[in-house]
Amino acid sequence: MKRGPTGLPAWLVQRASAVYLLLFLVFVLASFALAPVHSQAEWLQWLARPGMRLALAVFFAALLAHMWVGLRDVLLDYAQPVRIRPYLLIGLAAGLCGLAVWAGFILLRMPA
Amino acid sequence: MRFSISRYDPDRDDGPWLQHYDIDLQDSDRMLLDVLLRIKEQDPTLSMRKSCREGVCGSDAMNINGRNGLACITRVRDLKEPVVLRPLPGFPIVRDLIVDMTQFFKQYHSIRPYLINDEPPPERERLQSPAERERLNGAYECILCACCSSQCPSFWWNPDKFVGPAGLIQAYRFIFDSRDQATEERLDDLNDAYRLFRCRTIMNCSEVCPKGLEPSHAIERVRLKMIKKDGDSGALPVHPPRPVT
Amino acid sequence: MSKAARTPRSRPVFLNLAQIALPVGALTSIGHRLSGVLLATGVPALLYLLQRSLGGEAGFVEATALLSQPLVKIFLVALAWALAHHMLAGIRHMLTDMDVGSALGNARRSAWGVNLAALAIAVLAAGAVL
Repeated sequence: MKRGPTGLPAWLVQRASAVYLLLFLVFVLASFALAPVHSQAEWLQWLARPGMRLALAVFFAALLAHMWVGLRDVLLDYAQPVRIRPYLLIGLAAGLCGLAVWAGFILLRMPA
Repeated sequence: MRFSISRYDPDRDDGPWLQHYDIDLQDSDRMLLDVLLRIKEQDPTLSMRKSCREGVCGSDAMNINGRNGLACITRVRDLKEPVVLRPLPGFPIVRDLIVDMTQFFKQYHSIRPYLINDEPPPERERLQSPAERERLNGAYECILCACCSSQCPSFWWNPDKFVGPAGLIQAYRFIFDSRDQATEERLDDLNDAYRLFRCRTIMNCSEVCPKGLEPSHAIERVRLKMIKKDGDSGALPVHPPRPVT
Repeated sequence: MSKAARTPRSRPVFLNLAQIALPVGALTSIGHRLSGVLLATGVPALLYLLQRSLGGEAGFVEATALLSQPLVKIFLVALAWALAHHMLAGIRHMLTDMDVGSALGNARRSAWGVNLAALAIAVLAAGAVL
């Protein structure tokens, strides 16, 4: 039996993360459309809202998960020769982990 | 009417090339196949597959002005000139318009296209209600012509790993057959990175199916069944096939 | 050995994308993938801007200054198209996942809608930014 993490679970992660990204993005766009930010003080204030740091952390987690499934799809479709696919996937995973660590550092510097 | 037909003789040619034929249409030329057979009288070296001449065997599937279709049910007067005929995209060309269908049929066989039921056979039929039988409509009509799979980019990139729309609509036909008992195994078999999930719902398949079937829709329903959201979906829709022009 | 000894592996294949029809759904799908890759390239830039904007007043000013450079503005318009197309195509996909609008007629209409709406948003973004 072939059931593994690469079929249905990956597809579900892609859909679930998409829903959160969509909601978060709509929230951010609406927020800036209604009350644009003009200075660093206002920007920090916007970021310091209760729950914002957590919401941003989930945003980055969802974004990186979504990017993983999407870019992996691109590799699985096009990468030739086939035997280099595992290495490219490892490279992609490493790159995304790097972005995750970077995002983590940024979030830690944010006002809580 | 001008026809530009892809020719390829493996014994003589390095690669496919287009040969042009100028044909005066007769009243009896209604479908593209009629003209092709008359061209073949002029030029017996032109090779193509054909059989039923009525759109049920699927032999004469080919790429007509960029879209796959069956030559025998494509109205020749509706076609833009020059009419460019090429073999099905992505399949190895054996000769002229004849392609190697081995990979296509391998994928079909891999989904186990037969009823799996280990219960002892009843005296007469394995019974099925009309509603249960209805669920096969829109899938059982597939004639395995390969128009869909050869228009599917995901199948072009990984024909050996992705089952393809034809194989998957056939898989749907058995997964949703109430008499079949291997549903879980069939779903498990499709549940990896390639077999079903290379499908990105591009929907080229549904666009070109000469029988008006919708493999992309069938694949979506199989995915829903994998996450147990079966619902009460009845027949798959069948749309009037879009004419090739 | 004549050319007659061709093995199946050396048979030619017709795959000239310029000569194969692209239905409207295929355009939406290509756009979806292209926009995804484009957005992915923008993520490191997003993180960098975010980081700078948190780095004191000077950092914030630098971040906003970067955003007003002409080349960056063009990239922003491209990203606006990418975001709009990717989101709208994604929503269309998730609806068809739930068997909403999966039949061919509706799917073609929604594909046209997505393609045009994304372009319209890109034009609006260009107007706002440039």
